[in-house]
Amino acid sequence: MADPGQAGKGPLLDLRGLSVSYATGRGQLAALQAISLAIPRGGAMGLVGESGSGKSSVVLAILGLLGEGATVAADAARFDGEDLFANAASLRGRRIGVVFQDPSAALNPALTIGSQIAEPLVLHKGMSQSEADARTIALLAEVGLPRAETVARAYPHQLSGGMKQRAVIAGALACEPDLLLLDEPTTALDVTVEAQILDLLEGLRARRGLSLLLVSHNLGIVDRLCDDLTVLYAGRVVEQGAATTLLDIPAHPYTRGLMGALPRADKGRIGRLVPIPGGLPDLTKPDPGCNFRTRCAFVEPPCSAPQALVSPPGEEATGRLARCRRAGEELAWPVPPLPERTVRGEGETLLEANALSRSFALGGWLGRVSFAGGRPHLAPQAVVRAVDGVSLVVRKGEVLGLVGESGCGKTTLGRLVLRLIESDGGTLRFAGETVPQRPGAGFRRRAQIVFQNPDSSLNPRKTVAEIIRRPVTLFGIARGAAADEEVDRLLTLVRLSPAYRGRYPHQLSGGEKQRIGIARALASQPDFLVCDEAVSALDVSVQAAVLNLLDDLRDRLGVAYLFISHDIGVIAHVADRIAVMYRGGVVEEGPAAAILSPPYHPYTEALLSAVPLVGARGRAASRIRLAGDVSSPSGAGGCRFAHRCPRRIGPVCDEVAPPVIEPVPGHRIACHLPPETLAAMPPALGAA
Amino acid sequence: MASYIARRLLAVLGVLWAMTLLIFGIVHLLPGNVAYMILGEYATAEAVATLEARLGLNDPLWLQYWRWFSGLLGGDFGRSLVMDRPAGPLIADALAHSAILAGISIVLVAIIGIALGIHSAVHKGTLSDRVLTLAQYFFIAVPEFFWCILLILLFAAWLGWLPATGYTPIGEGGVLRWATHLILPVFTLVSGLIAHVSRLTRSSMIETLESGYVLAARARGVPEGRVLRRHALPNALLPTVTVLAVDVGILIGGIVVVETVFAYPGLGRLLIFAIENHDLPLLMAGMMVVTTVYAVANLVADILYAFLNPRIRYGRAAA
Repeated sequence: MADPGQAGKGPLLDLRGLSVSYATGRGQLAALQAISLAIPRGGAMGLVGESGSGKSSVVLAILGLLGEGATVAADAARFDGEDLFANAASLRGRRIGVVFQDPSAALNPALTIGSQIAEPLVLHKGMSQSEADARTIALLAEVGLPRAETVARAYPHQLSGGMKQRAVIAGALACEPDLLLLDEPTTALDVTVEAQILDLLEGLRARRGLSLLLVSHNLGIVDRLCDDLTVLYAGRVVEQGAATTLLDIPAHPYTRGLMGALPRADKGRIGRLVPIPGGLPDLTKPDPGCNFRTRCAFVEPPCSAPQALVSPPGEEATGRLARCRRAGEELAWPVPPLPERTVRGEGETLLEANALSRSFALGGWLGRVSFAGGRPHLAPQAVVRAVDGVSLVVRKGEVLGLVGESGCGKTTLGRLVLRLIESDGGTLRFAGETVPQRPGAGFRRRAQIVFQNPDSSLNPRKTVAEIIRRPVTLFGIARGAAADEEVDRLLTLVRLSPAYRGRYPHQLSGGEKQRIGIARALASQPDFLVCDEAVSALDVSVQAAVLNLLDDLRDRLGVAYLFISHDIGVIAHVADRIAVMYRGGVVEEGPAAAILSPPYHPYTEALLSAVPLVGARGRAASRIRLAGDVSSPSGAGGCRFAHRCPRRIGPVCDEVAPPVIEPVPGHRIACHLPPETLAAMPPALGAA
Repeated sequence: MASYIARRLLAVLGVLWAMTLLIFGIVHLLPGNVAYMILGEYATAEAVATLEARLGLNDPLWLQYWRWFSGLLGGDFGRSLVMDRPAGPLIADALAHSAILAGISIVLVAIIGIALGIHSAVHKGTLSDRVLTLAQYFFIAVPEFFWCILLILLFAAWLGWLPATGYTPIGEGGVLRWATHLILPVFTLVSGLIAHVSRLTRSSMIETLESGYVLAARARGVPEGRVLRRHALPNALLPTVTVLAVDVGILIGGIVVVETVFAYPGLGRLLIFAIENHDLPLLMAGMMVVTTVYAVANLVADILYAFLNPRIRYGRAAA
């Protein structure tokens, strides 16, 4: 019961010494080890950490939904003065709302959007169904969904990802909660949609005086929304404090490591990233001392003693806390010397795609049977033009970055240039020769691919040695004992010890698996690699290591890459040239530096201004926001971006294919706007 | 929805037409003389010629097919050679008896199978789930003819509670006697299928209970009973509905065995009779009826599936 003396005072949520452990086959796994955090009324706390840090356990513990396998203990857990755990069942849905990562999973496919939002209103607020329905429509309108009545009657599969997440947020707000838990709320969304959702959350917080707990691995969005940050590492809070100071001058070596490993779109090519070596400690045997010390560059013998979460010397007044005995010292993360960047992109053409196209048919023949007009007949086959007349060039030893949102055709294009799928039209030339639809072993040896998800692209029944050895022998690189030596050489190349030979994929971490995927692609000694979201599934600290590795391989072996990613920061870091793709076509292409600063294609401008940056809080006001999403319909024949373009001129954009402007040689923009207007655009990534 | 049903109906008609070709083909294109097959290998040439003339076996195949197919369209199922009666009424009579058996069975399989599956999923890992699991594997593993023999020995021969064979219409012996003839065949038919359906429902219910939208419903403070009924069940039943339609096929196969063992006058026994006596017209008509029953069961499942799954009921048109 609420203690009237305490309610209304103190923090809204106050967790002290929260521990969560799960029973596993190897003993108790200590997912959270005595973490403490407090969220003031109207405050916003960011909870940052990589996978395995325990951040999702915090959310489920607050909701009291950890399940039967988990053991929860806390010194104190209070919500608005009440005991959180004793009242969890009556708090969730009423005073605590939650938004989970993937809106497609969080909405029940068998129920309408409206019925899922109205449900807690009827259950908790005692509204009648018609009152709840009216309130639902008001809520959907509040989160910025047009035609709220239609949306309320729709089923989840009829909405786009961004619309679904707005609906989920509307549902979380239904009972007017005091605290909103956001568990990676934008991770499953495209960057332009993510920007819309962040704006929405910022507005809601200001309008309703909500308190937020934002759980994320993305420092940029945390910095955008939160006042305070808690950095979680392997179940412990390693650093806590105001977001601005914490991200400006991180005190704990782990936080510094995260910042050093982060590729940043606004910084462009800063040479090498600084990965954090090693991996998470074994949580079934928690280390009583500093649990980061095996990966820390500043480790000293006293670090093996338990570390307290205290204010660094001289910062007692700011309320900042760090779990490191050296936090107050002037420490610079040891940055490896910047290697001389070889000038690239001037070499001869390696791969040349000319007007490549590929369409996919939707549905089978029975789906084409239509009864429109009263008489059964065959309707024309519905097709999606996944790649629509794309031409591009990759030179020897060059990295061409390909950016675009989901569904724009990046992956299809990546597979087309490798002839992994057949094209409907256009030609492909590699090293001066035309590549047929079904190329021979010669092309296959020279052009390879690294897939996004190493879990599904490595055969779980084969050892590392078998996986890498197969292309070595298949392409006649080496045989017998020489092939085994070659496997060892490739493992060393991707910085894995030959001791990994006998392991199976499930015995490797995510970063190690991706390195095996790279080693396999390099086994045939290719000249050209397609990296299809090759680092997207990895944590920042591991991603940095893989990006550095790919960088080195290009410098040492002269491999050219087509680097496909939705992450502008990663593309800005690795690419020599960038191509921006929208709905099956390339709208802008040019040297990396030219793409990242004006003049832009209006889509590039919107894409860049949507990127959440660390330490750029004032930028929000000048941002370009796109309405709708990629799936909105557009007229045929005109600019493919016309229907969403904030700088649309008029009907000419819908009807006439845009001309290609070349502000500087090699930088091509397909847009109707005059070059002067494009050149006068403000820099979308800020003044950096 | 209407156009979805119309499309499924069109597909069913296509399947049925393909089956007429297949059934006709099996009977007429197989090596050997059809008349010899019917009359036996010691038939006189005269008898063969008479039968061939009577069945029109000397006409070109397409004409024979067209005669049979157009007859089917007009409701004429041909004439039984052995009983020298129209096949239609014979089959209708047998079908009515089998329908009682199959109808009761499929309803029991659906209700008991789904209920047990949900119970096991909700009480996963408890004693009752483990006992049920053991029993389910036992009933899946033991073949139905074993139950036929065991049940007759136990309840008919030893205890004498139930009749071993035969059938009594309700009009002759009352509901009780009618029911006593059904208990053993129905139990034999459903034991394996209930186990099968409950295993499937259990695993799909467990998967659904671990889904994001069930977690989200709990996080909205929805009471657990409502989470089960309203949020989990409609989604968890999707695979079960599909499998129930497939089970109709297994049930038809089971009916042939069960009717023969319990001497139950249904379609299964009629088919066995037609095969044993080389009564080709009766056999073809019977096979057509069985095919139709199976196709219609699948049509019903498709419609039920669409009812439970809005992704099929409504297209992708954005709101």
